[in-house]
Amino acid sequence: MGLWAKFKNTTLYKSIYRNDYPDTPRNQVLVILNSVVLHLHPVKLPRRAVRVSYTWGLGGLSLLMFLILTLTGVWLMFYYVPAVPHGYQSMKFLDTNVIFGPFARNMHRWAAHGMVIAVWLHMTRVFYTGSYKPPREFNWVIGVVLFLVTVLLSFTGYLLPWDQLAYWAIMVGSNMAKVSPVVGTYVQQALLGGFDIGPATLIRWYTLHVILLPLACIALMAMHFWRIRKDGGISTPIPYDEDGETDQLNDNNEGKS
Amino acid sequence: MADVTEKFQQAGPKVQPGAKEEMVYTWPYLVSIEAIMAVTMILALTIMSTFVNAPLLDLANADITPNPAKAPWYFLGLQELLLHMHPALAGVIVPTAALVLLGMIPYIDRDRRGTGIWFSTKKGVPIAVFAAIYTAVIEITLVVVDEFLIIPGIHPDGSKGIGPLLKFGLAKAFGIKEVWTAWIGEILIPIIFMIAIPWILASWVKRRYKANTREVMISLYTFYLTSFVVLSLIGTAFRGESMHLMWPWQVKPPH
Repeated sequence: MGLWAKFKNTTLYKSIYRNDYPDTPRNQVLVILNSVVLHLHPVKLPRRAVRVSYTWGLGGLSLLMFLILTLTGVWLMFYYVPAVPHGYQSMKFLDTNVIFGPFARNMHRWAAHGMVIAVWLHMTRVFYTGSYKPPREFNWVIGVVLFLVTVLLSFTGYLLPWDQLAYWAIMVGSNMAKVSPVVGTYVQQALLGGFDIGPATLIRWYTLHVILLPLACIALMAMHFWRIRKDGGISTPIPYDEDGETDQLNDNNEGKS
Repeated sequence: MADVTEKFQQAGPKVQPGAKEEMVYTWPYLVSIEAIMAVTMILALTIMSTFVNAPLLDLANADITPNPAKAPWYFLGLQELLLHMHPALAGVIVPTAALVLLGMIPYIDRDRRGTGIWFSTKKGVPIAVFAAIYTAVIEITLVVVDEFLIIPGIHPDGSKGIGPLLKFGLAKAFGIKEVWTAWIGEILIPIIFMIAIPWILASWVKRRYKANTREVMISLYTFYLTSFVVLSLIGTAFRGESMHLMWPWQVKPPH
């Protein structure tokens, strides 16, 4: 008996994995049911929905970017000081004195752009496949809010390096908020913590960027994923009769997975 | 709106009642695809992060304004609108309205037929192509006209575009005060344009393609999608110093 086979016989291994390798129908069911991550999926799903050309995996890729951003973001937080001008200096420090510092910062930046693009493309895929239609209306609304949160996450992060690019991009952006009808000056005061972009703005945006918005994103994602299952799983064509008489359009009970 | 949808319009791939979906196990059919996609994406990001550095310019300085100062790329569509209308409209009202309208889509298009099929019906693709061309042509034309239009005798020295044309034209023709003509040029006319362009598109699609609610919705989403892409592209690659229109190779990167 090989070492690996011996290990698979130990109490330790069996306490972690409750089923054998999923190459039989029984274990293919159990692997999904027994795993906290995999059980987001149904045990079985329509073959047509597995085709890459149907979803392009965009929802999953958005989640992947979020995970990459969380990991690289925590790593960046070890070095980043949210103050003026320390924020900029920590960027310089990261780029010159930290092993894999530039790599982590690059990864965070490119994954952030990637997430905005992936979420936007995912929304477009869901629209063009008609997957917002009842009973998935509200999950579409949650998705639109998630898109907004994604953009806000990216936008708040944009200021943190405190360089000329960051400062003036946020200047342009926040000047737009200033001219909101009626509430404009209040919105700007709340966002900037004063009349101008300064140390108060940086700490506010930092806090939003590293805690409030990610938490909001996680909560909304949980609802979003939960509702996919509750609304009948991945969207598939609705069976309907040529005569249109006996269609199942308003039968909400079918299609649950 | 199932009841108003004509049968013949549902000309997409049909699913017969009783025809059962072919089901496969999530492991390995889906899990393997997810794993491959995740690894590919991580690899791509790793390669990119190794070779392409995230930008870091000089320390922020409130006294040195870069020319041009641009927002992050996903806001450049809005920043482009800013050049053509009142800032409250471009920066606040349009994005808010866009998000609210997006959220309303499933509450207007309630027919479940067409779910799970790319473009839903046979007319879906032609309508999307038509809407994309219509939107791109109109918006590029408007941007170019607003940048270069000069009518001698009406435009004073140095001014160009539709706003000043109205401002000075109306003042000349009807003696309307400048406060009002500015309001007409910056708020009223842009609003009319922004409502009329999708409105005409929707009516055109309805008439030309005998479109149902879903198909009209496809034309309107394509309008939103094309606007976002066209305006963001113009804002990113075709706006240089002082936000003037120019070719991408003339636009200097931020420094």
